[in-house]
Amino acid sequence: MSPTSLVPAGFVPPVDGKTATVEEFRAAVRAWLDEHAAGLAKPADHSLDAEVAQLGKVRRALFDAGWMRYGWPVEAGGLGGPDVLRAVLGEEVAARDLTDATNYSLVEVLAPTMISYAKGELAAEMLPWLLSGREQWCQGFSEPGSGSDLASLTTRALQREDGAWVVNGQKVWTSLAQYAQRCVLLTRTAPGHAGITAFFVDMDTPGITVRPLRTMHGVDEFAEVFFDDVVVPHERMLGKEGDGWSLAMDLLPYERSTCFWHRITYLFTRLDRLVADADTDGSEPTATTDAAVGAAYLALHTVRCRSRNTQRRLAAGANLGPETSVDKILLATAEQLLSNTARDVLPGVIELADSDWRTEYLYSRAATIYGGTAEIQRNIVARRLLNLGKD
Amino acid sequence: MDAEERELLAEALRGTMTATPAGAALDAALAEVGWEDLLAQEPEVAVPLVFSLLGETGAHASLVNDVLLAAAGQPVGGTVALPYAGGRQVVWERADAGGDGGVLDAALPLRAVDPDAADGGKAAADPVALAAGRRALGWWLVGTGRAMLDLARTHALDRTQFGKPIAAFQAVRHRLAETYVALEGAEATLTVAEDELGCLLAKAAAGQAALDAARHCQQVLGGIGFTAEHALHHHIRRALVLDGLLGNTRELTRQAGALIRAQRAAPRLAQL
Ligand SMILES: Cc1cc2nc3c(=O)[nH]c(=O)nc-3n(C[C@H](O)[C@H](O)[C@H](O)COP(=O)(O)OP(=O)(O)OC[C@H]3O[C@@H](n4cnc5c(N)ncnc54)[C@H](O)[C@@H]3O)c2cc1C
Repeated sequence: MSPTSLVPAGFVPPVDGKTATVEEFRAAVRAWLDEHAAGLAKPADHSLDAEVAQLGKVRRALFDAGWMRYGWPVEAGGLGGPDVLRAVLGEEVAARDLTDATNYSLVEVLAPTMISYAKGELAAEMLPWLLSGREQWCQGFSEPGSGSDLASLTTRALQREDGAWVVNGQKVWTSLAQYAQRCVLLTRTAPGHAGITAFFVDMDTPGITVRPLRTMHGVDEFAEVFFDDVVVPHERMLGKEGDGWSLAMDLLPYERSTCFWHRITYLFTRLDRLVADADTDGSEPTATTDAAVGAAYLALHTVRCRSRNTQRRLAAGANLGPETSVDKILLATAEQLLSNTARDVLPGVIELADSDWRTEYLYSRAATIYGGTAEIQRNIVARRLLNLGKD
Repeated sequence: MDAEERELLAEALRGTMTATPAGAALDAALAEVGWEDLLAQEPEVAVPLVFSLLGETGAHASLVNDVLLAAAGQPVGGTVALPYAGGRQVVWERADAGGDGGVLDAALPLRAVDPDAADGGKAAADPVALAAGRRALGWWLVGTGRAMLDLARTHALDRTQFGKPIAAFQAVRHRLAETYVALEGAEATLTVAEDELGCLLAKAAAGQAALDAARHCQQVLGGIGFTAEHALHHHIRRALVLDGLLGNTRELTRQAGALIRAQRAAPRLAQL
């Protein structure tokens, strides 16, 4: 399973990731995507199975052509170059609506910390399986008793005499767990924040049971995952014992830069669609619709500007921290405003027709829950950015 | 101008604004420290700095005239008729306010003019000038919002009720967080405001953020924030008046909506 074995024979990088500018890279990606548009188009089938298959297909094509490997370190099977290249690629993929933006961006919350924390050759061995679309991975953090208070998690890992670890417990809301071959899992090995330890677990290990959960929007994207005496080799520990909390914190900068940029791009495509649909609907006075659509645009434009500044800071070598809670609040607010606006200016579309708008509207309700709730973000702003002391 | 020079300039300007009476005297003092050259040579430094400081210090000067005139390629120093919300027009006099009580923020030397009478309205009709003016006022509004947030934050830490500072109550904390997020978002739109649409959106975002700040901060300040003895009301008045100047949040947002509906696509202005 050496990483190079997944790269097509005779592969030649299409651009030099170290020297290409954002504009050059974008132009090259666009030309390639235009050329391959027919083969990559989304199928009419909207089921999650079809969506996940499409995600695999798009990643595979982008990996084989090299695009999917830019912005990832050479040591981990990537082609190098700055992180921003991943934001650009994701933006182009989202702008063409080739895959669901959230699923596409899961890589951003899984791979970077895996690369920084994995032992030895593990990252180099594993990352290409994810990037090439051959595998899905999932993130096992939340538990029935530990949502916002993640540090209270209780899924236990105990070390055996032979050094291997035995995991018992339950995870919940684990996105794409039913499709995943691997899981970045947080466990408890001792009390407190310093007692949380992360593992990279194979989902086909005996003792793991995945039970998909029905969701409100009808796309059953997450699952409960049960662990009964699941044996995990010591080499699969990410970082050292007790590094789990810092791993969880370290992924925020990626989630809140590249991932958000993809999501914002996607939401702009939906705003364009709303503008087109509002035209044909015409059941409201023009000025009312103009005002509502304008407000949604203003909110999306605002988070786009903020996110662009965040990317620039990251590119300039800044460490991203609690200030990204601002990005998160702006994004969740804009996302919900957009679909509320769709419901307002297209009366009945969400309630009376099984449209994409219904799915969008219902899914947007989760934007203030996942990735740290709206309230938790405001707590962080108050405590860390406004220095208001403890609550 | 490097970061250090900018910092020095900011300190000098802040000193001038706090030491000089607002209005005509501040106009003169800023002319003295080289406002006109700064605007001509480094508008991308001058405008954000000077206008956000006007907001933060609570000072005022008639500089928005110069921003419009310079952008329209006309000599600075005079006045221009400025569009105001609701199809009205005002002139920002280069003198102290007469105190005739017509304007909500009585400190500002604003005079309503008849939109149909030719009152030197050329620069304001120039879209480039209008955009430059909106961007400048956006910085001012964000500065005013920050001044309000600062007052409310200090109060929240100082004021004790139920045996603890009110900053310990989540309802209070979340109002202040909301204000901070709105101001940060608006500032981001200002950093990206280059063309006409970008400036329109930035003015709308800044107006909205300042109005949100007024609402939340007034609530956090309780009874004291309702008195004329506390500084808050000056900033609230300023935010309300500046929001209307060159188009208010509501109008600009509606215009943005009309524009993207006419174009059938929403421009992505911020690029990586
Ligand atoms: C679509 C979706 C996908 C997800 N995918 C994943 C995944 O792949 N992997 C994973 O590990 N998790 C995932 N999650 C879980 C997500 O991270 C949690 O739902 C989230 O952290 C909130 O936890 P909770 O649901 O237990 O709510 P709780 O923490 O119980 O919160 C309930 C309510 O109480 C409020 N509250 C809690 N604490 C405070 C406080 N201190 N101050 C003020 N209010 C508070 C919350 O804001 C919320 O409104 C996903 C969730 C969703 C909705």
